Amino acid sequence: MKEETSNHSRRKFLKSFGISVGAAGVVSSFSLIGAAKAAAKKPAEMVNLLTQDGQLVQVDKNQLRPTVTEPLDELQKRGREGIPGKSFVMVIDLSKCRNARKCMDACQNHHQLRQDQHHINVLQMQDAEHTAPYFMPKPCQHCDNPPCTKVCPVDATFKRQDGIVLIDNERCIGCRFCIAACPYSARIFQWTEPKDAEKYKDLTYNIEANVPQKKGTVSKCLFSADRLREDKLPSCVSACPNGVYYFGDQNEDAVTNGTTGETVRFSKLIEDNAGYTLMEELGTKPRVYYLPPKNRAFEFNGDLLNEENLH
Amino acid sequence: MKNTMKNIAALFLIFVFSGSMANAQGWTVPASAKKKQNPYEATSKNISSGKKIYNIQCKSCHGDPTMANMLPLAPVAPTDLGAQNFLVQSDGEIFYKVNKGQGAMPAFEKTISDEDKWMVIAFLRSFDKNKKVKQQVAEVKNPEVTDVKLELNVNEEDKTMLAKLSGLTDKGKRVGLQGIEMSFLVKRSFGYLDVSGEDPYTNETGDVQIQFPVDLPGDREGQVNMLVKVTDDAFYGKLEEARVVTLGVPTDPVNPLDERAMWGTRANAPIWIIVTFVGGVLAIWSVIFMVLFQMIKLPKLAKSKD
Ligand code: SF4
Ligand code: SF4
Repeated sequence: MKEETSNHSRRKFLKSFGISVGAAGVVSSFSLIGAAKAAAKKPAEMVNLLTQDGQLVQVDKNQLRPTVTEPLDELQKRGREGIPGKSFVMVIDLSKCRNARKCMDACQNHHQLRQDQHHINVLQMQDAEHTAPYFMPKPCQHCDNPPCTKVCPVDATFKRQDGIVLIDNERCIGCRFCIAACPYSARIFQWTEPKDAEKYKDLTYNIEANVPQKKGTVSKCLFSADRLREDKLPSCVSACPNGVYYFGDQNEDAVTNGTTGETVRFSKLIEDNAGYTLMEELGTKPRVYYLPPKNRAFEFNGDLLNEENLH
Repeated sequence: MKNTMKNIAALFLIFVFSGSMANAQGWTVPASAKKKQNPYEATSKNISSGKKIYNIQCKSCHGDPTMANMLPLAPVAPTDLGAQNFLVQSDGEIFYKVNKGQGAMPAFEKTISDEDKWMVIAFLRSFDKNKKVKQQVAEVKNPEVTDVKLELNVNEEDKTMLAKLSGLTDKGKRVGLQGIEMSFLVKRSFGYLDVSGEDPYTNETGDVQIQFPVDLPGDREGQVNMLVKVTDDAFYGKLEEARVVTLGVPTDPVNPLDERAMWGTRANAPIWIIVTFVGGVLAIWSVIFMVLFQMIKLPKLAKSKD
């Protein structure tokens, strides 16, 4: 019962917080609009602006508009709902992974993580003494029967209609039950102030990228849900130089390779290459499929820590 | 004259340099492998399918042939495969290197079929200025045409599509264009799925027919967005037609949140959990209240006993 009440006050606080943030936004936009209106009376006055590609341009002051940012509530709502009609899946081809770790870099950039924090991690695997070693990238499996969401006492982590499992770090109380529940060790905890906390402290929280990160909350792979909304492939998928990742919509039965851009039938890819999921005996029903490391596209000398293997 | 001398000198230097680079990388190709010849003819058909494979498998690192827009990898950047100093090698030499790979270059021995590799080599040879293998024989020659048109015919019954490519000759006659490769692409979330099949080349009348896959999901009504185009822009410029066709299998996307499940949030929790939980809470509180109630009753009871 205690939990209920504390949760309630927390929500109240968040509500008032949301209102004050919203109010601040309205006030500042009023002042901008005011400035624009005032400028309208004068004869056209030009201001110098730097465009994104680094060109200096002149713009009529009357034409200036404040940029529109989605308010927190709106981001939160659509982040919880997900993208209708989609069912995202990832396929990881282990025969092509050579530990380039470009996926990890791209991910850490996107989600404001430090070098030692991983939403996706390339593991060095050797299943038994006499089996061949291989590299295995391991993101959150976005389970269809996720143990992590079952244990969250405050509904902070949840599954949406497109299959993606997200965390709302505005709700997360940092109990870390979900970390204990996840059999894939996919989740990390922000023990300290996150990277660049100072720099991003004024940013509106974007639930679909889980940025800015927050001390005392949990984070994990989100399939780059914010990029998917723009029909872009997840950061890791497009960053891989070796064609390891396929990503797509299971409802369309098609996945696209992030490196080559080639689109193939999902069912056929899995069938032809004996695709499998990790620890399926647990009944978690992962959405990340693996293709076995056979017929490798590179020579593997078995020495996992050899610099030569890092391409 | 001076300029040509300079050019020759530069070429020579590049040649020597690339040679030493190749040695530095230690590409040693056995003599027997070097002797191999491309068993496939350099027809425009083979070249264009080679181009297709090249764009999927090689382009991401090597860039476009002759454009020198490869990935700037360190320490050794990928070679421009359309450069003359690369193309001086024999077919067999290139084939061997593609098979074996080296350093950052993957070995494609098992990931691309031999036939596909030879197609790519045929495509690369088309940039060879020395034309060691001369462009081959017996190709269909289409007449010079203007106003090239692409027409589409969809048969929803047996899920086939017919594309017709035609142009206007200088005599004002509309003729079919033969031997041109067409691409039939289905729009998916992150790219286009190629459903052209094995042999998507136009016949003598300029027609090409493909079988749409019988089990490819469409939207609720079975509609899919198709893009049909001439694969290689080099022939007649960009020629394509986009159309919505009802050839897919009607698919109702399942919303996992429609069902109550253990993993659901409070709103989606199974009824039995809600009932047990609420029942449990009620039971505990009623016991507490009962005890309290009895305790209040105690003094009264004591009084009445007195
Ligand atoms: S992999 Fe772990 S964190 Fe991801 S959905 Fe499954 S249980 Fe949850
Ligand atoms: S750590 Fe946060 S997300 Fe995880 S179970 Fe606790 S409250 Fe939920």
